[in-house]
Amino acid sequence: MTLDEHKEFPVESSSLKEIRNFAREVFAKDPIFKSSIDDVILAIAEAAQNIVKHAYTGQPSGDTMRVEIKFDDKQLVVELFDKGKPAIPQNIKPRRLDDIRAGGLGTFFIGQIMDEVIFKTAATDWVNHLILKKNY
Amino acid sequence: MSYKITEEGNVATVHLDGEIDMDVTEKAKEVIMPLIEAGKEVHLNLKEVQYMDSSGISVLIESHQKAAELGNKVILKEISKSVLKVIMMAKLEQILIIE
Repeated sequence: MTLDEHKEFPVESSSLKEIRNFAREVFAKDPIFKSSIDDVILAIAEAAQNIVKHAYTGQPSGDTMRVEIKFDDKQLVVELFDKGKPAIPQNIKPRRLDDIRAGGLGTFFIGQIMDEVIFKTAATDWVNHLILKKNY
Repeated sequence: MSYKITEEGNVATVHLDGEIDMDVTEKAKEVIMPLIEAGKEVHLNLKEVQYMDSSGISVLIESHQKAAELGNKVILKEISKSVLKVIMMAKLEQILIIE
């Protein structure tokens, strides 16, 4: 089965649940996701949370972020777009796990769950473009 | 997220329910931190928590550290399967107190 779905959400923390619900509805369409659905939804939600928290520093903006979910029977590609502060990929790294403190785990979770994480400068009207890939 | 607090002696049990993400972490901290600061041993019952992300994990870490600082403890009880999976992904099962 192939999937190609997208939706835009306000950049605010209350959108995170809606994003999870959107992803859950999309993944429910193909049983191939059954065993990984919770993990992949966590990765997408962590990426969206990073947009709210870091690209917009938690401030309300009226902007939206776009979530695209594509699947071609072998590879899942999730793309997130936002118009927040440009991300500096070399500064985005998970904290060391033995450094026990609040924060810094989202990026670690994304890296654990997905096979590939790509930060790009968006070529269109968006600013940041994050691509998450997982092979099936 | 919703919650219920029961107290017995010096133990306060917080039953959390629902999904714990960035949107509700402040509320969770407002519930848990005053109990820790009041010197209670806090038990967090996570049986009905269906989802927890890194923000929720941060609340668990902050609560654990605050309690330790005050010579007390936060004990995680009846952790749901999905929350336990995230705790283990963060390799925190040896750090947080789990019963």
